[in-house]
Amino acid sequence: MSHYLATKTSVVNWLRGLSSENQVYFPQKHGEVSYRFTPVRTDSDIQFERYAPTIVPPVKQLAPARDELLQFKRSESGKTEVRASLDTCFRILAGVRPCDLKGIFLMDLFFKNGAPDAYYLARRENTAIVGCSCVAPCDSRAFCEAVESLNHTEGADVFLTPQGGDDFLVEVKTELGKKLTSPAGWRPSEEVRRTSKPVQQFGRAFSASVPEITKLVAGRFNSPVWEKHVSRCFSCGTCNLVCPTCYCFDVADDLNLDVTSGTRTRTWDGCMLPGFAVVVGGHNFRAEPAARQRHRVKRKFEYLPEKHGHGAVCVGCGRCGRQCTSHIDIYDIVSDLIQEGGR
Amino acid sequence: MSTVPSSWQDLARQSFMPQAGRIAEITDMTAKDRYFRIELEKPLGHRPGQFVMVSVLGVGEAPISISCGPRKDNMLEMVIRRVGRLTQVIHGLKVGDELGIRGPYGSGFDLDDFYGRDVLFVAGGLGLVPLRSLITPVVAEAGRFGQITIISGCRNPSEELFRNQLRDWSDAGINVTRLVDGTENMPWEFGIGLVTDPIPKLKLDPEKTVVALCGPPVMYKFVIAALMSKNVPQDQIFVDLERRMKCGVGKCGHCQINQVYCCQEGPVFRFSSLAGLPEALR
Repeated sequence: MSHYLATKTSVVNWLRGLSSENQVYFPQKHGEVSYRFTPVRTDSDIQFERYAPTIVPPVKQLAPARDELLQFKRSESGKTEVRASLDTCFRILAGVRPCDLKGIFLMDLFFKNGAPDAYYLARRENTAIVGCSCVAPCDSRAFCEAVESLNHTEGADVFLTPQGGDDFLVEVKTELGKKLTSPAGWRPSEEVRRTSKPVQQFGRAFSASVPEITKLVAGRFNSPVWEKHVSRCFSCGTCNLVCPTCYCFDVADDLNLDVTSGTRTRTWDGCMLPGFAVVVGGHNFRAEPAARQRHRVKRKFEYLPEKHGHGAVCVGCGRCGRQCTSHIDIYDIVSDLIQEGGR
Repeated sequence: MSTVPSSWQDLARQSFMPQAGRIAEITDMTAKDRYFRIELEKPLGHRPGQFVMVSVLGVGEAPISISCGPRKDNMLEMVIRRVGRLTQVIHGLKVGDELGIRGPYGSGFDLDDFYGRDVLFVAGGLGLVPLRSLITPVVAEAGRFGQITIISGCRNPSEELFRNQLRDWSDAGINVTRLVDGTENMPWEFGIGLVTDPIPKLKLDPEKTVVALCGPPVMYKFVIAALMSKNVPQDQIFVDLERRMKCGVGKCGHCQINQVYCCQEGPVFRFSSLAGLPEALR
């Protein structure tokens, strides 16, 4: 659609303006080094330059840690009334980096394909996204270019690209984006976003392409690599919780104090947790940490790509490695698999 | 929340919203297994081998095998073992109480794979519960099948399920072998041994035989090995697998066997289709 040139100040003021009437989330500093997507207030610090990836990715606003599915109430006649707790509040996710944008794009596929998920899709339909491209790698853990997410813009309503100096190229990509940017009064531009490959590798690189990696990972069910990378794994599941494309969940009920009403809620679960595949009788289909690690990696590079027909389902944000207590990094695991495959 | 479009409400209703079912009959089968007949608002329209998600709102939800063959009325039959908090509560319910039901889910068995063939059922413990949803329609139309054989085994005599029905099937001329691992000093007039024991002695024409088996995880590889040594083709062996499940609609991730979602592509699989799924029989 349309392109504009805008100064950084005007973009910041535009977001602040939007926040007076809407819930706008932008990565804001949390403690010394961390960032979180938190609601913008008119006096919030909004800075686009360099922020480390947020602790949890923005897609978790659409698939929250506690997602209420049903509310129920038992009447005196003994009948139980049940209704779906759909969240259709409008929200804006701003400052979403390409890796996280791709995470949202992939989650859209997962929740749309097969049995469509009303809860995620209702939130998604009522969410506007303002993406922002990266000019430099966020830190030494990122490998976004290696998994083809560095230039991802699909799914954004508005996409911002720093142009050097104080200017931003503003790409309005949807009708919703047009509506949101109409009060900004920016000057139209003929400029196009340059997606040419940076001279240097952006973040860490793999010695194989994404199609080669998916093929290599698919062939490696029995490999010493799985064992090697779990010797110091605590099976804590942090890697699952911070991943932009992990969405497995548990479902549990809560009864209110009146004991006649309550809720059914889904909460994040993780395939690295020891009890994830335990059935009645105690049999665990993935009892060893290495089997769970293999499952996690294969979901990202084999199972879900195959199911949804899409390259890699790891977006290279580096969160799992960055936040792992033992510094187990999916980048190292995949690198070892590539090396083992003779590449 | 009043502004939610009805289309989202409809979609939500199709996924996690249980339908009310009324308990019409409860029968104790063993000390920990109880048979439930549930009256639904409309016919379930299930295939043999499918399952439903059963819930008590406020307590929780779990996948439970359907134990009756396809039926035209509104009835659903299940056997529920008391193993956890939810099943403990379900065991405390009385005739007339409500249960939440959603489904049916899963692939199930296709009777067309069985017509005209000799049929062998191998059930271990609770495995008889889902297999009964296939045995019932097969026995009901016994003339459309060749020889029908049932091998049912359990730990000890007090744990045997559907005793009367096993006797009835036997009386109806079906070849029924009833086994226990040990009698544990209880009266028992049938065989002692594992469900694999009778297989080598069976007179079966491997090309003409279709097998359906369900039991605890440890049982599968031994039964399959016994069937392979009788040269039963891999695509004529159907296994009904068990997995942890939280949604039934291919999203929660718990039931995944490699790339396959057991709740959708299973729980019934042709053994030949498990070749690329090394996690299937672990």
